[in-house]
Amino acid sequence: MDDPRERMNAEEVLEKKDKIFEDVLNMLVDRLNISPTDIRMDTDVKEELMFDSLELYELVVDIEEAYDIRLPDEDLDRIVLVKDVVELIYTLSTDS
Amino acid sequence: MTEREMEMADCLVRIFENVLITEEMSLQKGYFPDLSLAEMHALDAIGPYEARTMSETAAILGITTGTLTVSIDRLVRKGFVERKRDEKDRRIVRISLTRSGKVACRMHGKYHRVLAKRALDPCNEEEAELLLRMVHDVDNFLAAQAKKYNERESLRKTAKEVSEERRRRNDNG
Repeated sequence: MDDPRERMNAEEVLEKKDKIFEDVLNMLVDRLNISPTDIRMDTDVKEELMFDSLELYELVVDIEEAYDIRLPDEDLDRIVLVKDVVELIYTLSTDS
Repeated sequence: MTEREMEMADCLVRIFENVLITEEMSLQKGYFPDLSLAEMHALDAIGPYEARTMSETAAILGITTGTLTVSIDRLVRKGFVERKRDEKDRRIVRISLTRSGKVACRMHGKYHRVLAKRALDPCNEEEAELLLRMVHDVDNFLAAQAKKYNERESLRKTAKEVSEERRRRNDNG
């Protein structure tokens, strides 16, 4: 029933997403000058983190360079929570 | 000219002028006051991702590589563009955007997007299609006019450049 390969795969996915969260967290802390404890997976990016557009695009360019991905504006529009950022990076970096 | 034609002509000219003015102002009053609109469009032509050659970029902008070189020199000095030699063919120089260049390019792209969104948002699906088709018609008409002029002589070239080019062509047979 419980396929160990599937379990391993799910663990790898979680681990990769944790790593992405950690990267995003570090970038946000550097950029916004806030405490890491203020950022959770369910933090609302627009309401709670208060980016101006320059800070947002600086972060976008940093993420694109770190993960060698492209983050189109249409995808950025759909982001609400930090979790969405992590999912988007995961999906784009896994596809490429 | 009928009243309607006059209104249309006024609107078209005003749109052209106001797009230029607001683009220029958004740069001057925004985060990138050291960039001119022409320089911003050069960054846009290079794009935030792949490195490009000078001739590719000049072709996108419809200018000569000589003119582009002057602009790129300035953008390199200001820290928005970097030049690198091609790894395989050292004769080829590629240009790409620095981190600041990428950020500027993305932010300027947002200006264009906001403009388009503002025009399309009040429309339902059908109206948006119709509006887009009509704007395309105007765009195609103007592009055809521009092409006609370009075929005669390049408008961007000064009279001196045109006469020099003609002389070169004659010299080459």
